[in-house]
Amino acid sequence: MPNIEGAAARPNGESGETSVEGDAATDADVPLRAEGIEKSYGSRLPFTDRVEVLTGADIEVPAGEIVGIVGENGSGKSTLMKVLVGTLNADDGVVERAGTVGWCPQESLLYDRLTVRETFDLFGEAYGMDGDAVADARERLASRLDFERFLDYQVRNLSGGNRQKVNLSVALMHDPDVLLLDEPYTGFDWDTYLAFWELSETLVERDTAIAVISHLINERERFDRIYELRDGRLHREEEQ
Amino acid sequence: MSAFGTGARLRLLEFVREPTTAALLLVLPPVVVEVYGEAMASFPALPGTTGDPGTTGRIIGALFAAAFLAGLVGLFQAVSARGTDERLHRCGAGRASLLGARVVTMATVAAVAAAVSLAALARTVDVAAPLAAFGALALGALVYGLFGVLVGALLPRQLEGSLVLVFLVDFDNVLASGVLDVGGTVAQVAPLYHPHALFEAAVTDGTVPVDHALGGVAYAAVLLALAFVAYVRVAGGEPA
Repeated sequence: MPNIEGAAARPNGESGETSVEGDAATDADVPLRAEGIEKSYGSRLPFTDRVEVLTGADIEVPAGEIVGIVGENGSGKSTLMKVLVGTLNADDGVVERAGTVGWCPQESLLYDRLTVRETFDLFGEAYGMDGDAVADARERLASRLDFERFLDYQVRNLSGGNRQKVNLSVALMHDPDVLLLDEPYTGFDWDTYLAFWELSETLVERDTAIAVISHLINERERFDRIYELRDGRLHREEEQ
Repeated sequence: MSAFGTGARLRLLEFVREPTTAALLLVLPPVVVEVYGEAMASFPALPGTTGDPGTTGRIIGALFAAAFLAGLVGLFQAVSARGTDERLHRCGAGRASLLGARVVTMATVAAVAAAVSLAALARTVDVAAPLAAFGALALGALVYGLFGVLVGALLPRQLEGSLVLVFLVDFDNVLASGVLDVGGTVAQVAPLYHPHALFEAAVTDGTVPVDHALGGVAYAAVLLALAFVAYVRVAGGEPA
């Protein structure tokens, strides 16, 4: 997975293209680190202003920790997530990632007319997993998040909550070293919400680094550290 | 199965699972061929052409149906690639493999649209060289399928993109038929110029003009390269 594995990415000025600089500079203890991330959106139309979303955001996501990122609606959380994942180029700053990355976007980016089983096949193939590994991950996650009976449903026919379970499972199926989750439990019922946290704790025990973006964090004790995104920068809250 | 093979198989499944689209693929060509044929048969003669106006109309209609349907599929493939294909790419799937799977889907639909359009034409017109006629229709459909990808990259909206395509194919098709005298150079750069000449020759004379065959294939190759560039931009996640 050359695009999201062990890369240090730095935008190169005017073009906004991100260049990859050799192997990961990030140590194994901190598999995801970002420094000085800046991002603004503009329009090609004349007489329109640029909107500065990120103005120098810094974050570290250490191995075996769950990091929460909170912020008001429109504060730039999803933009930050896209920059951390690499789907959006920052205007300035450095993102360093070590190991494999799992990404659960806020909007479930899935193929509507494929079944859940086929979705696992397609993404498993992309991750480079063999058939047995895909089947194992599918059965394990479907059981844990309780969507076994929907495996042969097309994604478009799933409820919002079940769709989100599949969206999350796609990010988890290859046991990534870094997990980036954007509003991961939206639409979950209480049992699934609890199952999600049990699953997260299992991953943390295996030293997975997890970053969770949410507009609302109720159970702060579940997080090892929490950052608030405000005025384009991340402010770390006092340690619990 | 390879990542490309899995992707192509699943893309085709996605297409087949949309019954409305599949039904349109079978119903639209016979209707369009007959409407064009009957509309033009009301003229005693068409400027710029020597053949029977009804037959000319049906030839134009068959090419319109095949090209427009394939163009729509290309457009929808490009629009739906935004976001979801980028996620799959971040999971490790190569861009060439992703585009290849979409081109295979579009080319398959182009072949089916060409076959259905030819069958609709053959009901009322004696086709001199059916295989060559099929090849010409498929080439026209492929050209517009790739054109659809380009339109989808520049205008990533299904309704607006469809409107652009319908006017583009209609005008291009009439231009290529020679009914409108707008000057040789303009007509020769029109996407359907070579496919129309090939198709008309195959239907009426049973011949295959080599210059038009080479010109049409070269045109499709250039469009394929442009479609790849457009696809990378579309699937790249950055706002257009």
